[in-house]
Amino acid sequence: MAEVACTHCNLVFDESVMITEKENDKTLYFCCKGCQGVYHLLESEGLDTFYTKLGDTTLQPASNNVSEDLEKFNLEGFKNKYIKETEDGLYEIHLIIEGIHCSACVWLNEKVLHKTDGIIEASINYTNNKAKVVWDPEEVKLSHIIETIRSIGYNAYPYDPSLQEERANQAKKSYYSRILVAVFGTMNIMWIAIAKYAGYFTGMEQNFKDILNVAEFILATPVLFYSGYIFFRGAYYGFRNRIVNMDTLVASGALSAYIYSIYAMTTQSGEVYFDSVVMIITFVLVGKYLEVLSKKHAVDTLDSIMGSTPTEVTTVLNGIKSLVSVENVQVGDTIELKPGEKVVIDGVLTSGQGSFDESSLSGESEPVYKKKDDEILSGSICLDSVIHYQASKDVSGSLLTSIVSLLEESITKKPHIEQLANSISGYFSNIILLISLLTFAGWYWLDGSFETALIVGISVIVIACPCALGLATPMATLVGISIAAKRGLLFKEAAFLETMAKSDLLALDKTGTITEGKPTVVSAEIFEDFDPALLLALVSTSNHPVSKGIARYLTSEHKTLETITLQNIKSIEAKGITASHKAQRLLGGNASLLQEEGIGIDADSEHSLFFFSIDDSVVARFELSDTIREGAKEAIEQIQAMGIEVVMLTGDHAQSAEKVAKAVGISSIHSRLLPQEKAALIQEFQNSGKVTVMVGDGINDAIALAQSNIAIAMGRGADVAINVSDVVLLDEKPQSIVEAYQISRRTYRAVKENLGFSLLYNLIAVPLAVAGFVNPFIAALSMSLSSLVVVGNSMRIKILKFKGKS
Amino acid sequence: MSDTIVILMIGVSTFLGALGLIALLWGVKTGQFDDQSKFIDAARFDGEEELRDAVMMEEKKKVQKQKAEKKKREAEKKKHYMPAD
Repeated sequence: MAEVACTHCNLVFDESVMITEKENDKTLYFCCKGCQGVYHLLESEGLDTFYTKLGDTTLQPASNNVSEDLEKFNLEGFKNKYIKETEDGLYEIHLIIEGIHCSACVWLNEKVLHKTDGIIEASINYTNNKAKVVWDPEEVKLSHIIETIRSIGYNAYPYDPSLQEERANQAKKSYYSRILVAVFGTMNIMWIAIAKYAGYFTGMEQNFKDILNVAEFILATPVLFYSGYIFFRGAYYGFRNRIVNMDTLVASGALSAYIYSIYAMTTQSGEVYFDSVVMIITFVLVGKYLEVLSKKHAVDTLDSIMGSTPTEVTTVLNGIKSLVSVENVQVGDTIELKPGEKVVIDGVLTSGQGSFDESSLSGESEPVYKKKDDEILSGSICLDSVIHYQASKDVSGSLLTSIVSLLEESITKKPHIEQLANSISGYFSNIILLISLLTFAGWYWLDGSFETALIVGISVIVIACPCALGLATPMATLVGISIAAKRGLLFKEAAFLETMAKSDLLALDKTGTITEGKPTVVSAEIFEDFDPALLLALVSTSNHPVSKGIARYLTSEHKTLETITLQNIKSIEAKGITASHKAQRLLGGNASLLQEEGIGIDADSEHSLFFFSIDDSVVARFELSDTIREGAKEAIEQIQAMGIEVVMLTGDHAQSAEKVAKAVGISSIHSRLLPQEKAALIQEFQNSGKVTVMVGDGINDAIALAQSNIAIAMGRGADVAINVSDVVLLDEKPQSIVEAYQISRRTYRAVKENLGFSLLYNLIAVPLAVAGFVNPFIAALSMSLSSLVVVGNSMRIKILKFKGKS
Repeated sequence: MSDTIVILMIGVSTFLGALGLIALLWGVKTGQFDDQSKFIDAARFDGEEELRDAVMMEEKKKVQKQKAEKKKREAEKKKHYMPAD
């Protein structure tokens, strides 16, 4: 059978399952009613140019539930929380639009919104799919706007931009402007500087030199004071807190070189250093800007967590159901939960029973079965049944809210940036500043001339600062980062290499980090021959991780399996699935399902079991277990051999945690931890003086990741986890953690060597400067020579050898 | 080459460059570079129709503003309205 693409969403399916339609002489194929509806809507609105813009991009199929829970958008509580009223009496809301895959989608959404009466402004951001919509409440209701977006196959939910986004955007814009000015100044000064270098060797008249100096001065001034403002601010805060940081060094170095250059310019004595002033400012500024960018990404994902939480819950009072804003729910209220709903308020189950997806809390993908008197935690999702529970906390005291606010806090005042103001450079700049002050005082005392003393004092900073220190750390870390990136390790910031090298404790999450995070078939017993396509059809009807594990196993074992349609599919809570096919009765599930049906089986195993029976006779038995990642044991051994303590933090229960820990050789285990307890443990480690690296993958690890000194996330982990992390492992191999340690330690060694060398250079050059012997030629020669040595030494990191080469 | 020519050349070229810089800074300030991908991708969809759309949105805004002003005036009138005795 031929496979064809859906006319709307471009996904390819078998021709036989498609809805076909003849239009003029063309045949149209649709994968579902939703896609068909959207196609005809767009065509009738004259928007079918969308498809030429779309090209070959695939979309997600349009859903059919256009009018579901629309009324909630018109509720008062919703309005207070998300809608802002402008001066003209217009309403403004910020939405995240779901389902956008390409720029054509953005085009379509904007177009449709523009065409809607009453919408005054609608703009969608291409990068993060966030939209700002302004409308006239007298002409159109929000529910209608949402309905319009849904009718073309997308979905929208609101978020509150005042949280963080506006601030992050402001910071980004300000950096952007400052960088533009800095780059403009640097480029032009460089041209002038080239003319001057040429003139230095071939001889140049003083009057031309003066003109060029003044031009450099004019260009350097805005760069130093506008673009460099950030460093002066940082240095000022550092000064108030009595810390010498990188900002202090940059600010004092640039400012003193600037003042010295003005002096040299006006007195026509010596060389000017305006070019080094702007270079330092520009390079360090660009580095800082990259930090601001990564912070903004984290904010974007936080908004999507908050946006998907409901603002209203259904409460039941004396048998009457009513929608109540979450803020108004009090302890003791009874709340009704429907399948697929996210819990926002903690409570205790009072009636009904069902499975809950707690993966965002514990990291375990297997649903948890809950019955009367069990605790319901916010952040979990009710999977399959309607239940009633009693609120035991109000919304602000609930787990989900506290997790989100903790995360928010950790992003805004991320401890790393201050911590990592690398301490060696800190000491160094202290010493240099001290020496230059002493030199100034000494010359003033001995020579008596204030002028000479000032020039010599400044020349000490000028000769010591820009090259030796400016290059020692960045050059080595740059090489380190690029090697790491080639091996699938993304360090988000250079300074993280240094902290990682100093680390002496590694905390690992269990599920998804040490293990694969999904149940995999470890053994399969076939009692009778059967058609595997039948089993595949059966397990494909369920989203349970065990079913998915079986499906993965079947598709990898058997190349081509035809699609079979089953009848009477019924899923039985926490047990399995039943269905029928051509008078055959199919059963798939765990031991208790089969025992219930009166089929005797051997249910003794330490793993999860899945049985498959046809017409009441068991034909296959599968054992599934969350497998440990390949190479985890060796990797952990190597890390321990480096003298690093390894601990395991998990939300899973003690028994399975111990099993995994034993298999990989970890002796220190902390199990049954809630997200914030993980973070508290990390803090405990830090309080006892450990530099802690945390590796995790899920939303449940996010707070702990943000708390740790270095956070490593798995490349396929949750967005939040990746965004709060400092290092991302793209290939997810445990061996990569070892490599991260090796690279960072090697880089740190190179940094130390470089600093050692610059120290040596300074030991020779600074005394000369102190003695007042520095003439421009010596300065130029020694500066470029010292830079070359530093660069060459950093390149040596590249010959680092890795064990177990891929 | 005399001093004046060098000054003139540096001065004029820096001034021209600065004009470009100011234009860029204005662009950043008015939010034209807020969205990198839109900046690059949206150019593909620019055309007559999009221009017409933009004009339509402007019109809508204008109508809205007039309406708001009218309402304001009416509200003012109401405030000053004294019922006849």
